[in-house]
Amino acid sequence: MSLTSSLSIATQSLFAATAEIQNTNNNIANANTPGYTREVADLYTAPSSSTSGINPGNGVVLAGFQSVRSGLLQTQIEQGTQAQGQANAELSSLQQIQTIFNSSTQDIGSEMSALFSSISSLSTQPTSSSAREAVLAAGGNLTAAFNNASTALQQQQSGLNTQVGQDVDQINSLAQQIAALNPQIAVSGSKDAGTLQDQQNQLIVNLSKLTGLSITRTNDGVTIATSNGSPLVVGSKSSALKAVTGSDGMAHIFDSAGNDITDSIQGGELGGTIQVRDTDISGMLQQLDTLASQLASAFNNAQASGYDQNGNAGANFFSIPSGTAGSAGAISMAISDPALIAASSDGSSGSNGNLANLSAIQNNPLPSGQTPTDSYASLVYQVGSLTANANSQSTATAASMAQLTDQWNSVSGVSVDEEASNLVQFQQSYEAAARVITTVQALFQVTMTMGTAAAE
Amino acid sequence: MRVTTMLPDLQFQIQQSNQALATATEQLSTGLRVNQLSDDPAASANMVDSMAESANVDQYSSNVSTLQSKLQAADSSLSSIVTSLTSAVSIGTSGANGTNSSTDRQMEASQVESLLTNIVSEANTNFQGAYIFAGSATASPAVASASTTYTSTLAPLSASTALTSGSVITVHDASTGQAMTFKAAPGDTIASLQSAISSAASAGVLSAGTTATINSAGQLQIATNDPHAGIVVSTDDPALGSMNVASETEVADAYVYLGNDAVNKVQVGDSLSVVANLPGSQFLTGTSGVIPALNGLIAALKSGTTDNIGNAVSAVSAALNNLDAVRVPVDNTLATLNSQETFLSQETITLTSRQDSLVGISTAEAASNLSNATLANNAVLAAAAKALPQTLLDYLK
Repeated sequence: MSLTSSLSIATQSLFAATAEIQNTNNNIANANTPGYTREVADLYTAPSSSTSGINPGNGVVLAGFQSVRSGLLQTQIEQGTQAQGQANAELSSLQQIQTIFNSSTQDIGSEMSALFSSISSLSTQPTSSSAREAVLAAGGNLTAAFNNASTALQQQQSGLNTQVGQDVDQINSLAQQIAALNPQIAVSGSKDAGTLQDQQNQLIVNLSKLTGLSITRTNDGVTIATSNGSPLVVGSKSSALKAVTGSDGMAHIFDSAGNDITDSIQGGELGGTIQVRDTDISGMLQQLDTLASQLASAFNNAQASGYDQNGNAGANFFSIPSGTAGSAGAISMAISDPALIAASSDGSSGSNGNLANLSAIQNNPLPSGQTPTDSYASLVYQVGSLTANANSQSTATAASMAQLTDQWNSVSGVSVDEEASNLVQFQQSYEAAARVITTVQALFQVTMTMGTAAAE
Repeated sequence: MRVTTMLPDLQFQIQQSNQALATATEQLSTGLRVNQLSDDPAASANMVDSMAESANVDQYSSNVSTLQSKLQAADSSLSSIVTSLTSAVSIGTSGANGTNSSTDRQMEASQVESLLTNIVSEANTNFQGAYIFAGSATASPAVASASTTYTSTLAPLSASTALTSGSVITVHDASTGQAMTFKAAPGDTIASLQSAISSAASAGVLSAGTTATINSAGQLQIATNDPHAGIVVSTDDPALGSMNVASETEVADAYVYLGNDAVNKVQVGDSLSVVANLPGSQFLTGTSGVIPALNGLIAALKSGTTDNIGNAVSAVSAALNNLDAVRVPVDNTLATLNSQETFLSQETITLTSRQDSLVGISTAEAASNLSNATLANNAVLAAAAKALPQTLLDYLK
């Protein structure tokens, strides 16, 4: 116990208070830095030195600065980001797709109806050339509607294809940056690596937006693989994914071992994009192709069972490719001469008997099991419900992320109010410690002048 | 829980509120609750079916209207024919009266002749480019007047001139009431046609004495030797040109039915089809046919006895009764069309109302939603404005 030790304790207090003020300053400066976790000064009481049974304290020691974080919340945020990335990617694509099937535009459903109406109208005046022209025009509009829908879906696919390439590039770049931080983080061992860890976590969240991940953290850093197990980051090394165009014209994703993992990618923007490109759109194109092909065949068969105005057996109404694939994109009118519509059932020019066979197509099931209108309605339902589901997923993940963000902020966020009040507190500590020093200095003075005339 | 900043929450809530405002505005301006498929996929799918039904109902209404016009034209022609037939019966009845002189009867015969001409003209009623009493052969008149002789436009021809394979030549006979159709096979010549006509004459399809020859001008000549009956010849064979009536060979009062007996049906409801035409074969020709009956009356008046005239008048009455009978389906169809018209306009209302309930929203409801959304949005913004700017630093001096 001495004035000197008091002085040294007070000096340490000044250091501590200064450090805390500096830390507060740092927190306030980084209040809006994404991924920044607030730091608190790690202070502890210096062990007391025992002097003959009396153990006064030895002041405060600053051990360092500690980031306040929750590993569990971090993991939940990463998972939530993956889910949100996927839902948003699917939603934005599907919202564009559903406009193709909107009945207020000249969609397939309304053009099919118009064609059947024109045939019914022809049945009241089978020799009218204007009524026949109207049937051909309606047929042409229907083929155009099929062609347009098919083209629009393929264009979406091609846009998504480009997106896949861009996402893969970004994933590789982020993986590299994350891997580069691993050795630096490993240096701090079991202690929290502070702002380095913040940086790496933020990169991991950005990566989560892009693809589903499986993440393991150890004291040596983080190991990251895609959700199907292909390595991305191991130690200080990152493994790159590659996007290569396959024979189907689509970009396939290969991991560093050369495996095609396109079908196994889940989560994140990449997962959502691939889901829409390879499953959703492909399914829609297939249904469209089937409808176009079966409808055209039905029309062609009905034509063949009657006679045109020249007394010949009816020729094909539509022309389609021989297989189902590509039918919607390729369907076109096979006749352009109104006389070739096979209205007659007995070869005479004014007979309308075969038109009943053409009209019947509307209400008879196609080989797929549904009438043309019901087939189209099913497709509309499917598109609408995929989009509605993506929408609710997107909203749900957004709400859940908002919740998680609140919780994360609660643990790790900087509260400017809190820092401001801390500032007041640390200012007072500093002033108090400075006051102690002033007092000790005065006491030194008194001690020095003890027993001299100046002390009077 | 430590709350560090309200900003993310406020941003989320403002976003939600803006979204609700945008949706309410869209609903009010479009009048629709469902503006894209995802708003209600099931309703959107149901709309596809409902709109297809609406399109069908609209077309049925249009068909009803077209058929009403057409059948009313037919009905009016038939009424006119009935009037003419009734007059013929009364003329014939008075002609059968023993007190009439031969001159009187000649005059009566010529009155009946002019009634026959009227009837033929009514039988050839054309509605929107189609001869409505010709069955399904509506491109040509139902009834044509017959002549004894037809000649080809092309010459010189001979018995060995080849006929175009697949082409058709038709000979209608006014006295037998039947027709012979010859379709040329590959390798057929005019000789083949000649022999076909001979066979038809022997079989009684054409009158005995109907022949096909090459005349002095080198034309193909098809003729009947009965000056009181006649034929109508047509062909599409370019090797012959066309077959035209030789001048001065028309036979008075001789007519041939060129149509067929086909009946077209038209759908005017999901499960309702109606007959759309009355073929002339049902009342103009045949055993109770109007034309043969009137021809019989004309001949009887010109030269017959009271008994002959009496029998001829009975035949005309029988033709009139037959016409009344075959007219009934036409009248029934008109009645059906009228009630279908009413039904269809009701269906249109039902469907429209159903579609409205599937995807529509009332203006009142949409306006009230918009008003609520606007209020809510204003409240969120006001609250945010109040809460955001305050920090402790404002108060620490």
